[in-house]
Amino acid sequence: MGMASDIRITAEPVDAQRCKFLVDRPVSQGVRRFADRGEAAGSPLAEALFALPGVRELIVSGNLITVVKESPEAWQVAGKAVGAAIRQALSADAPPIADRPPATGAARVSDDELYERVNDLFEQQVNPMVARHGGRVELIDVQESIVMLRMSGGCQGCGMASVTLRQGIEGMLNQYLPEVKGIVDITDHMSGTNPYFASAKK
Amino acid sequence: MEAARRLPVDLTVASEQPSTFELARPDALLTLDFHDLDRAVQEARVFDTRFRLDAALGVDDDTVVIATAINRALGRPRNTIESAQAARDKLLQRSLLGSSRVPVPRFGLQMIGKDLETAAQRASFPCVLKPLRLSASRGVIRADTPAEFVAAVARLEAILKSTCDPEDHHALEYLVEDFVPGYEVAVEGLLVAGHLHELAVFDKPDPLNGPFFEETIYVTPSRHPQAEQADLVQCVEAAVHAIGLHEGPIHAELRYNQRGPWLIELAARPIGGRCSAVLRFGDGTISLEEIVLRHAVGMPLPSLERERNAAAVMMIPVPGAGVLEDFTGVDDAKRVPGVEDVVITAHRGETLVPWPEGSRYPGFIFARGEAPELAERAVREAHRRLHFNIRPAS
Repeated sequence: MGMASDIRITAEPVDAQRCKFLVDRPVSQGVRRFADRGEAAGSPLAEALFALPGVRELIVSGNLITVVKESPEAWQVAGKAVGAAIRQALSADAPPIADRPPATGAARVSDDELYERVNDLFEQQVNPMVARHGGRVELIDVQESIVMLRMSGGCQGCGMASVTLRQGIEGMLNQYLPEVKGIVDITDHMSGTNPYFASAKK
Repeated sequence: MEAARRLPVDLTVASEQPSTFELARPDALLTLDFHDLDRAVQEARVFDTRFRLDAALGVDDDTVVIATAINRALGRPRNTIESAQAARDKLLQRSLLGSSRVPVPRFGLQMIGKDLETAAQRASFPCVLKPLRLSASRGVIRADTPAEFVAAVARLEAILKSTCDPEDHHALEYLVEDFVPGYEVAVEGLLVAGHLHELAVFDKPDPLNGPFFEETIYVTPSRHPQAEQADLVQCVEAAVHAIGLHEGPIHAELRYNQRGPWLIELAARPIGGRCSAVLRFGDGTISLEEIVLRHAVGMPLPSLERERNAAAVMMIPVPGAGVLEDFTGVDDAKRVPGVEDVVITAHRGETLVPWPEGSRYPGFIFARGEAPELAERAVREAHRRLHFNIRPAS
């Protein structure tokens, strides 16, 4: 796919555990999530990243690679190793990410179907609740059964946003749509201008 | 919440204002009246009959006493209510510590509006005025002369009358205590069956000499001599025993000078939820919250040894009084080697209030490094790259 040194990668740490790596070329078609080393087998890029210490999860979508790690190392340090692994995998001839394995066993709910169901739940139950505090929750996407959402209004930057997310929204998803495997909040909470509750003092 | 998910432990979050999800998630969210201890305990009892509670944990000064009372009501005693109250009440705490010969600053109790001139003349200078009912150094003012004392009381009166519950007869009380010179540290610990496990000693490299006492940087491990650190931890141990704490997390603020350690504050809770992110244990993947939660529900404790790396957190100083119009430089600050995160918790349009009237930091910077100097340098450099645009409040 090219010389390793030609590949441009921009790292955008989300927090101490998550960092997005934006690559200047496509890495995969569609979305692949790798929850462990076993799932990475057959995908050279995922194998290389799981070989790094502390890597816990990967989500690869187009030219975006989100790495989740457990190690305490700062992204300024860990990111260099991730970048090197990405460059090496993309420089090889083999496709960096293998095609998704065919589904086995019971029929799995597609992401499109799940999107509809989550959207219904958000519009009919979740949003009327958060609206009482001037908030709104927008469903951005469902990828690999993982729900991506964005909060706005009173929820954006709210001191209780994580409680709303985990104890409220995630709990309701678990209760009504057990097919949902996880939830990712992509809200820029630092840009909130009207949070319902102030953040913690310390 | 993340620690509970990781363990896993079923968590119920209690708050004094209802969550909009409480009806939909009655096992996960609970409203308690934090101003009425008996009522809160009764509400928790009712909850326990529907969804069993194994333990209650307070996360700040206000909720520690309630959590203690709930644990006792549910037959799962950890600390006595009296000890939790002593950890909450500055006057009671100092009285108990003083009578147990734990070194505390000399102190006296005053009330706004009473005997001001006499109090100003009798005070030994320099002294520090501390309102009984406020936290996070809000309203804490140093005075070096009788005139400064009078001015400080006037300022404190305005703060208390704008913030405190008028029905609370202690609301207008304040301590006048000797200013203790020396360096300041914070000690984080966990009490297990009465034994204090030291979790971290934080240096506070910026001098806290007043006139106001806004915190800035915490760095661990401490760079002070080992013998002095041992003295400080021993002082904390004496303090927890003096007020009768037996189980759970503690956070203590101390000073050290040529006369040894001085206990300034002791709380029966962990360090604040934002700042706690700086602490990791064992192989670096265990959080303080996980340790506290494990201990609360009786799960086996992992290593209580802090990770090898040094760590620092900066509570970003309030850059000035006024309305926060905008801030820039966050991405640039995050690029400083060693910096792990920069979080601005103040929102655009928020009115920023400096100490002593204020008590809320506009954000936090976290860094790690091989040595404390490196972690401290990283948070300072990151802070230098942040810019806040503030307009005067109308």
